[in-house]
Amino acid sequence: MTDRDDLIAAVRDALRNVIDPELGHNIVDLGFVYDIAIDGDVAHITMTATTPGCPAASFLKEGVASSAMQVEGIGSADVTMTFDPPWRPAMIAPEVKAELGFAELN
Amino acid sequence: MGGNLCKWTISYFAAALAWLIAAEVLMVAGFGFPSADIAAPDTLVLVHMICLGWLSMAMCGALFQFVPVLVSRPLHAEGWILPAFVLLSAGLIALLAGFLALGGRMPPWLWLLPFGATLLIAGFALVAANLGLTLWQSRPLPASARFVALGLLAVCATMAFGGIFALALFEPAPGSLVSSVLASAVPIHAIAGLAGWLTVTAIGVSYRLLSMFMLAPDVDAGKSRLVWLFSAFMLGAAVIGGAVAVLVGQGLDLALMLSAACGLATLACYARDVAELYRKRKRRKLELNTRMVVWSFASLGAAVALGAVLAITGSLAAHVGALVFLIVFGWLSGLILANLYKIVPFLTWLETYGPVMGKAPTPRVHDLVAERRATKWFVMFFAASWAATALLMLGQPLGFRIAIAVIVVATFGILQELIRARRLTDVAAPLRLPAGALAPRLLITRT
Repeated sequence: MTDRDDLIAAVRDALRNVIDPELGHNIVDLGFVYDIAIDGDVAHITMTATTPGCPAASFLKEGVASSAMQVEGIGSADVTMTFDPPWRPAMIAPEVKAELGFAELN
Repeated sequence: MGGNLCKWTISYFAAALAWLIAAEVLMVAGFGFPSADIAAPDTLVLVHMICLGWLSMAMCGALFQFVPVLVSRPLHAEGWILPAFVLLSAGLIALLAGFLALGGRMPPWLWLLPFGATLLIAGFALVAANLGLTLWQSRPLPASARFVALGLLAVCATMAFGGIFALALFEPAPGSLVSSVLASAVPIHAIAGLAGWLTVTAIGVSYRLLSMFMLAPDVDAGKSRLVWLFSAFMLGAAVIGGAVAVLVGQGLDLALMLSAACGLATLACYARDVAELYRKRKRRKLELNTRMVVWSFASLGAAVALGAVLAITGSLAAHVGALVFLIVFGWLSGLILANLYKIVPFLTWLETYGPVMGKAPTPRVHDLVAERRATKWFVMFFAASWAATALLMLGQPLGFRIAIAVIVVATFGILQELIRARRLTDVAAPLRLPAGALAPRLLITRT
């Protein structure tokens, strides 16, 4: 594992501090984080939310940037919110799916 | 920070609940129908307190927050929301005073009626312009937003008729057009308001909210478009058909029958779509709000069945009060209260914990409420609403007042739950106010 992979893993771990308030789980396990890339000390994060226009979306974005910047070695965070592809419950980690009482997912 | 939160939504909700409780207390005291005639000034006071003060204020507050969600675009003018609140509140107070004057409970200052109507028209014009321009700038509109657009047209029609009525009551001129409108167009005013503005808008918003809260796939656009078309025909038949009938001096029967047929088709298709949303939801365990909304849908279904039976048996005129009560309390009030139980904690969460997200551990929205404790208030509310409807049908005014007293207790119970959510009372201490978080104010959202 390279230093960059370690840093990506550390950023991913830090993002677990951010929860979706409605579903009550962290956004990493919910599958909101599409991609994390590191360029120097900048973390480029691509993420989504359950629905476009969601009032929580801007807070989620700011929370993700704050969390990423708490990782040692990260100086700034560039967070992109996308709805392409749209989030689907199938993106949730299996253990969280069961806890949320989700139906058979597609 | 917090750019997606509307500062005044909670204020609209608070005013709405205050109007609801005031109207309920008056009903317990025996004010208005059924102690007075259904068209008596006292009854008009009650009807407008509930339809304008409670239902419309709550609907406006919700739309200011949710229309931007529906169209993924900020509201056209946040600055117009407070002036609209002032105009609507002052207009309603003046209108109610006008009705009291009409009934001889105040000096005969009938000018209060057109004065109040003018303020209300200005208030709703500001609301409709703000939301309408937001929608206009977001074309092509998603399915749910089209319903809101139709609802806004309906509120304009409701206000237009209301304004004419106010003029006719202020300066009666037998034989004039204005007087003939007052004599015959009250059903158009009621259909445009209850079915057009409140129900059609609620249908549109519910497509999106049910899908969001239950993580259900959106209803196929073709299906919801059919519901929209039937709604538009229902409204068109009542308002345009009805207005033409009044102008040419004909009865409203044909227009109302056409409107009722389209209304039935609307509700049948909507029921199919709601059943699909519940059936296909990914989130199997329902929360209190989505469980209670089912009861409001049941009330709407019961109101349709009751209306049909009354129409077939020719007893609609005798029991129209009970039918309207079921629609206003069992359907619209139940629906709005159930949704407030979700929306208020959700907005409170965003206001309090949104700014510290990622910086400190935060509770879940669910931690702001105690569903088990709140369930009893909703059970009381719906059971008493249905009992009150039955007691009205059976001609038991005292029993009706007792049922309304139970509704008052239930409403206070729900209000107390909402205040607890606003004050974060049920959030466990370590997570309640993390460093950097500010406690929300009760009546205005900090943005």
